[in-house]
Amino acid sequence: MIQNIIINGLINGSIYALLAIGFSLIFGVARIVNIAHTAFYMLAAYFIYVGFGYLGLSPYVAMPLAVLAVGLFAVICYKLFIDPIREHEAAVLIATIALAMVIQEALLIGFGGHYLGVPPLIKGYAEIVGVKVTYQHLLALAVALLALFGSWLFLMKTKPGLALRSTAQDREVANLMGINEARVAMLTMGISAMIAAIAGAIVVPLFVLDPHMWMHPLIMMLAIVVLGGLGSMKGSFVGAYIMAFAEVLVVFLVPMGSFLKGSVALSIMILVLLIRPEGLFGIAFEEER
Amino acid sequence: MLLEVANLTVCYDRALLINDLSMVVDTGELVSLVGPNGAGKSTLLRAITGLVAWEKKSKRGTVGGDITLEGRILFNGERIDRTPAHEIVKKGLIHCPERRRPFREMTVLENLHAGAYLVKDRKEAQGNLEQVYALFPVLKARSKQISGTLSGGEQQMLAIGRALMSEPKLLLIDEPSTGLAPISRGEVFEKIRQIAQLHITVLLVEQEVSTVFKMASRNYVLSSGKIIAEGPGETLLQNEVIRKTYLGL
Repeated sequence: MIQNIIINGLINGSIYALLAIGFSLIFGVARIVNIAHTAFYMLAAYFIYVGFGYLGLSPYVAMPLAVLAVGLFAVICYKLFIDPIREHEAAVLIATIALAMVIQEALLIGFGGHYLGVPPLIKGYAEIVGVKVTYQHLLALAVALLALFGSWLFLMKTKPGLALRSTAQDREVANLMGINEARVAMLTMGISAMIAAIAGAIVVPLFVLDPHMWMHPLIMMLAIVVLGGLGSMKGSFVGAYIMAFAEVLVVFLVPMGSFLKGSVALSIMILVLLIRPEGLFGIAFEEER
Repeated sequence: MLLEVANLTVCYDRALLINDLSMVVDTGELVSLVGPNGAGKSTLLRAITGLVAWEKKSKRGTVGGDITLEGRILFNGERIDRTPAHEIVKKGLIHCPERRRPFREMTVLENLHAGAYLVKDRKEAQGNLEQVYALFPVLKARSKQISGTLSGGEQQMLAIGRALMSEPKLLLIDEPSTGLAPISRGEVFEKIRQIAQLHITVLLVEQEVSTVFKMASRNYVLSSGKIIAEGPGETLLQNEVIRKTYLGL
């Protein structure tokens, strides 16, 4: 039981962390609350399903292709629907909700509401401290941790990462460093969608696919960024694991807990908003004149 | 002329902030721009470095997004009033903004690296870093510190150091002494004097008239968006009206 909680908490936490970091990234850089973020995650899962099931591609080809395709799709959506109205925060919010709904409905028309699945990449299981863990779960955990580490390296150690963080902290002053703030925002949209797509690729062999699968992660992700502090990468990372373990604990320890897992996230979110509205690592944004 | 502003007019909504203003800065000068609060000093600098145009573009269609920008701005004989802010930087015109504005969550070193964003050559960037460290030893000592936790004076040094990282030809500095303790002020002014000696042209906006007039080779007095007087400090101080009305001395 405890081992199950740890393994599941780690995997879910890593996936949530990937989602929440991407969401924080685009919020931080462009002040876009992207409700369609988990729709990108779902889209990646469906792309892989199509590549694998219909086109007969190897999953090792289908997955990177799907990640790139989602990134490109996100950039196109940004240019078409978000960039023209970027200064109107409420309109952007509505546009991203609409985008998510469009993706959901398009998938519903294309694939129906059935549950779909992709077989695991590797079969078999390992026995770790007496609990059976499938290799697929271990692979998912490894890839998720690798992707998180990769994101961290990109942000902290590369020049585009520096430009991105600078823009997130002060959009106006970033201009004065010679950073093309509009282009950074567009790139960030692509990068954040690609990180979400990686999360989608990780869960494909573990979960079933259906056109509503973006809803639960969306709620968790929103709760996580409220807990961690909106716009804080560290907060998103820590918050993701806290939420994942809270969720897994309820599922395993509370009778009928799996029905309650959504409400746990929302309860934590409400508590945080009541007690510490800025979140664990909340940052005060520099006022732009 | 290194910088030439001709018939510049800036309106935010219906407020006329810069009114048909013309001014010049020549290579190697240290020119000051003084005037009461709300005279349009910061707006002038923001217009020169493209921030007003950027604001106009990025706030189009919103409340407070109705911005007019007319007139000509030339840098090195080249028109820059239609050039995006991030490309003006490439030409060597760097703006060290009001209220210092360091990237608060980043370390001192990361801030300086951000300042060298356009310097492609690693060696060159490293050389610039050494120079900035030589000018501001305190930044070297605190290179790993998160810049939001620095003192006001140190943050000002960082803001100037960050601007120097991209090898400016003309440096615009907006109110570097505001909000600093007297001892830090003296230090900041001393550093600006040293920068001017490095053959970097400086346009300095300041409230502390008595100090700046001693430093600058030429001064502009700005009021209600217009240049109302120009000249060396001693001449301006002799004019009773300007001294009492606009400089508060």
